[in-house]
Amino acid sequence: MSAPVPQPIGLLAQYETAADILHAAVAVRDAGYKKWDVFTPFPIHGMDDAMGLKKSKVGYFTFCGGLTGFSFGMWMIWFMNKADYPLVVGGKPLFTPLFAFPVSYELTILLSAFGTIGGMFLLNGLPRLYNPLFNVKRFKKASDDKFFVFIEMADPKFSTEKTRELLQHAGASSVEVVED
Amino acid sequence: MSSAAISAGGNAHSKGKKAHADSHAAPPKIAAAEPPKELVREPLVLNGRSLAWITDAIAGICEKPMPKWWWPAFIISFGGMGMMFSLVAYLISTGVGVWGLNQPADWAWDITNFVFWIGIGHAGTLISAVLFLLRQKWRTSINRAAEAMTLFAVACAGIFPVVHTGRVWFALMPGYLIPFPNANYIWPQFRSPLLWDVFAVSTYGTVSLLFWYVGLIPDLATLRDRATNKIRGALYGLFSLGWSNSNRAWCNYEKAYLILAGLSTPLVLSVHSIVSFDFAVSQVPGWHTTIFPPYFVAGAIFSGFGMVLTLLIPMRSLFHLEDIITTRHVELMCKVILATGSMVGYAYGMEFFIAWYGGSPYELYAFKNRAFGPYWWAYWSMITCNVISPHLFWFKWCRKTMWFVWLVSIVVNIGMWFERFVIIVTSLHRDYLPSSWGYFTPTWVDVFTFVGSFGLFMTLFLLFIRFLPAIAISEVKAVTPQADPHHPLGGAKEHH
Amino acid sequence: MNVFRPFLRLAALMAFGAALVFGPAAVAADHAEPAAAAAPAAPADAHAAPAAAAHGHEAAATAEPTILQRFAYSYLTAFMFCLSIAMAGLIFVILHHLFDAGWSVSVLRIAEHLACLTRPLFLALIPLLLLQGEIWRWLHVNPATDHALDVKKVLFNRITFNVVLAFVFGLWAWMATTFRKYSLAQDKDGSAIWTRKSRVLAAWGIYAFAFSLTLAVIMLMMSLQWQFFSTIYGVYYFAGSFWVTLATIYGLIRWLSTREMKPVIFPRQIHDIGVLFFAFTVFYAYIGFSQYFLIWNAAIPEETFWYVDRERGSWWAVGLTLLFGHFFLPFLVLLRIDTKMSLAVMAPMILWAWVMHYLDMTFNIMPVLYPKGLTITFFDPLCWFGLVALLASFFWRDYLKFPKWPQKHPRLKEAVTHHEVTGAGYAVEDT
Repeated sequence: MSAPVPQPIGLLAQYETAADILHAAVAVRDAGYKKWDVFTPFPIHGMDDAMGLKKSKVGYFTFCGGLTGFSFGMWMIWFMNKADYPLVVGGKPLFTPLFAFPVSYELTILLSAFGTIGGMFLLNGLPRLYNPLFNVKRFKKASDDKFFVFIEMADPKFSTEKTRELLQHAGASSVEVVED
Repeated sequence: MSSAAISAGGNAHSKGKKAHADSHAAPPKIAAAEPPKELVREPLVLNGRSLAWITDAIAGICEKPMPKWWWPAFIISFGGMGMMFSLVAYLISTGVGVWGLNQPADWAWDITNFVFWIGIGHAGTLISAVLFLLRQKWRTSINRAAEAMTLFAVACAGIFPVVHTGRVWFALMPGYLIPFPNANYIWPQFRSPLLWDVFAVSTYGTVSLLFWYVGLIPDLATLRDRATNKIRGALYGLFSLGWSNSNRAWCNYEKAYLILAGLSTPLVLSVHSIVSFDFAVSQVPGWHTTIFPPYFVAGAIFSGFGMVLTLLIPMRSLFHLEDIITTRHVELMCKVILATGSMVGYAYGMEFFIAWYGGSPYELYAFKNRAFGPYWWAYWSMITCNVISPHLFWFKWCRKTMWFVWLVSIVVNIGMWFERFVIIVTSLHRDYLPSSWGYFTPTWVDVFTFVGSFGLFMTLFLLFIRFLPAIAISEVKAVTPQADPHHPLGGAKEHH
Repeated sequence: MNVFRPFLRLAALMAFGAALVFGPAAVAADHAEPAAAAAPAAPADAHAAPAAAAHGHEAAATAEPTILQRFAYSYLTAFMFCLSIAMAGLIFVILHHLFDAGWSVSVLRIAEHLACLTRPLFLALIPLLLLQGEIWRWLHVNPATDHALDVKKVLFNRITFNVVLAFVFGLWAWMATTFRKYSLAQDKDGSAIWTRKSRVLAAWGIYAFAFSLTLAVIMLMMSLQWQFFSTIYGVYYFAGSFWVTLATIYGLIRWLSTREMKPVIFPRQIHDIGVLFFAFTVFYAYIGFSQYFLIWNAAIPEETFWYVDRERGSWWAVGLTLLFGHFFLPFLVLLRIDTKMSLAVMAPMILWAWVMHYLDMTFNIMPVLYPKGLTITFFDPLCWFGLVALLASFFWRDYLKFPKWPQKHPRLKEAVTHHEVTGAGYAVEDT
């Protein structure tokens, strides 16, 4: 099989400061683009609003994890110490939520943490083995001190000319086509 | 209060949002002067370092060859670790008799060391989670190393309770500690606090590891992007999971980080509380007291910050990180030590007071025996180190002089080891029947196993400095003025 | 808005007047149907009597409380409720100075006024001390016949008891007044010297606070059953107090930010107080759980009798109400970040917190007088309302009299400029 010919997939614009990237994001959002993203070496305060992002849904995964952990812990202790193999120890009841609490509590935290991280990975599509942006040399600076906007060609509003103009007008120090 | 007034403090950039359009609802600006000169806050990163400088300074440590001192330090630590594992092998092959503990003091250095190490771990979680929730931005310079320290301390802690069971294979067999269906048809006994410990410590280790790893992902991506050879690039690339610094990802990432901090906070409280239950649910005089859970937690944070300072003060000067881990950071940690040391002092006072107030002769005897019995030297070492020494930090000179802080941090560690020793051994060595009284003396195996555990701890820590960014790169950047789009250094055109 | 003050004063007077007039009548009405009340409690009572006798308070199990005792206990409950708010105001000020906090400058003046409520509470202590013989039964016990009292008779005798209480209330009133004095002085000149003085006072003050509050709570509340002892008891009272006071501060700043305090109250302050309220919901539960759990597990009769008393009759239901109402309900309601900004959620929550804290105080105090179960008399709402109205009138006087926030506090700029809710995930939705 021959290597596929690289096709352009979108425009990548570089910005120099946190303020520039924030303004650029507002401009792109207000122009009505949907398939685009911002890349910054650290989370910038106010960027989620500037991009018009909705609140993250990670919390729901946490809650499900926690609920599972707590109920499973209580059930497990009830089953093991009361239902399956009842044995009186230290004059204590075979089951009460009281002594079952510490372990159920730890399981709540454990499964909440699993839920949170699993949820975050799922929502972010991690781990991701290949990303065409990594072929762009200057993009390595996204984890150092530069800021980027990437607009996909797949966006219905995309037009090579107008989009480039928009990005440059917003203060980009360079705009280039990304190929894949 | 009207909705408009609430939104008035919101972000001026989100023009798209309806509520923000109500600019007329903005409260009247009031005149607020700059603070007097002596009260101006010091910046968290000194000398106005640039973002790229921060990347180079931190990532550079694990990219360049290690400095000369690293190898000798590593070899000594590795030797200590080897010694500890050899002694553990000796213990397992021979029996717990190689240690000095025996009736009536059937818990001694083993559990002391366990509580000591697990306590040290707590500062890491406190710094990474609690200070995060309190929005203490200074944490960003120290949280990575402190979290690593947590993990390594938990690793050291885990060894002692497992090997003190003697027949270790039973402890590890499914059904005894780990609930798993087995041929013997037995289940763990959930009324025992020792089993709660198993769940608490293993949850703590797991969640701390995950929290640490999640924090590492963006920094691993930085190392990946800077990698100059293929192997490094591939390995850092593998562990950074394809992180691209996308803001859509940051959005979920930050939420997850916040939630993990929210989960770790009650977790860190619960772990040392459950450790304290090992003692406090019993009826042993000196052990059964209701203040134990919060008192143990305060003590754990106290000792943990002591260990953080013990590690970071040399690290900042050896790697020239004084602009990132500043004097202000050290001063703040000293203040945490002072605060938690005072809480511990309050608890010691309450224990004594209530032993007197309650009128139980056994309880009162246990405390008198602690202070004036055969282990008086341990008790007064503990009081000197934990109650008196932190109060030196009321003085600015003591907080600002690095060698002095370092010495006090070691004193704190010694004091907290003695605290656990005092609680465990003084309460056990004289029980209700004077004919059964005894006196515990450690053997050489006790001593060198404990010394060796520092080898394990340091080995892991040195490897961590060698291969991973010891300071959270993206988090430090986020607290600089360059990261603030409303600050002139962040590129803001006019100050608003 | 001076109209509030005479109204509150009048309300306080009316409440106490009504307590004196209607209280006895209400009690008499209770007595008219003793059979109905006593019948369900009978089996529990039979079980209770030996236990109570074993701990030297036979009187509790047998004799009906007198009207004066009923009033005194209701007064004590209301007093401990009000003390919570004043003392938590004081620790808020102390912590503000020790932490060198920025955001809390906006609410500092309110906390200073709350702390200064220790002054009217000093006055309100006088009736309590006059009624001491009706409240603290150990005052009538001869230490020679009672081991639990004998061991602590150095501290627990009539003279020391009164001197210690007068001293700690004097100390608190002085500390609160001094903090506010420094703060008001800084309003004028903005000098750093007031900050330094406040820090020095806060530095030794936090130790004074911790030990004096513990001692006062042991004397006022724990010694109602002097055989009982718990090292965490002071922390328990503190945790509940800070919790209810955060709710109170939240309510105050939401209300006052529609008035004079508008320029300094931002979402950040509201959010942070809300988050602290949530944190203390958990902290209170942690401390309460620790106490109960350790006593339950060890099962030593010297301690368990205290909870046994509180599991009798309807006290069992009160305990469960506290478990669910003081912890689970607020915990679940406040779990989401954005609920802390919603007045529709928080306003009922504040009222609920007041009810729960009062119930908590009742649970700690009242089983001594009413061993058979929860008994609510006219005195309860009247004493509560009287004391709260008294404190509110003082608070309102101070609020009107002084600048509404520390005018030249060195961190004021931080409080009014860094006002957005920052940090990961803290994007607050508009409400």
